[in-house]
Amino acid sequence: MMVGTVVGTVWSTVKDETLSGLRFVIVQPFTLSGESAETLVAVDGLGAGIGERVLVVFGRAARHRIGRGHDVGFQSAVAGIVDRMELADGRTIGPVRAQDTQGAQLPRT
Amino acid sequence: MFLGRVMGEVWSTRKADDLAGKRLLVVEALDERRDPSAPKVTPVVCVDPLGAGAGQRVIVAFGKAARVACGGDGDFAFEAAIVGIVDDFDVPQAPASWRAEWPGDAGGRP
Repeated sequence: MMVGTVVGTVWSTVKDETLSGLRFVIVQPFTLSGESAETLVAVDGLGAGIGERVLVVFGRAARHRIGRGHDVGFQSAVAGIVDRMELADGRTIGPVRAQDTQGAQLPRT
Repeated sequence: MFLGRVMGEVWSTRKADDLAGKRLLVVEALDERRDPSAPKVTPVVCVDPLGAGAGQRVIVAFGKAARVACGGDGDFAFEAAIVGIVDDFDVPQAPASWRAEWPGDAGGRP
């Protein structure tokens, strides 16, 4: 599973029949040093909008999210929309939101 | 499976039903890639059934191993889970960052 920011939606008419009716979003992942990584396409059943951060799952977990059995022609899907992140040492994954807290509040063990 | 360090936590309200009640931690692999041309490594978000804390080193498993660690091998909307909290390791070649109390620390933090 990884966190990324939704940067767009993509439509396709001619596609694998197991994919009909699904919504596809384009997700931009980030590293913990703030660099962006390669974008990816994920099936979205939660209605994530542009700018929202999402949890993306792959493989069996994604097919389970799509809910059409395991013979479906896709392997990444949105499993959750992120409300809040707490990361150590001022690190971020993508754009920082007001509700995110960093560093000091994070209990260390 | 890989060794990583817990870097933080993520909360989500609108999510897959089977993620309800699961703690989601952001884990960064310990093994840093020094080659700038290597693919950028994004942190992994893992289900945490063990109660790992920020800064702790953990063992992360994927796929069936992750599902079993979280109580079954059914259909779950996740594929990565923390299966162990590292007490110690003996890796003579390990870079100092593996030992550092916190990433970026030279000699540990109070």
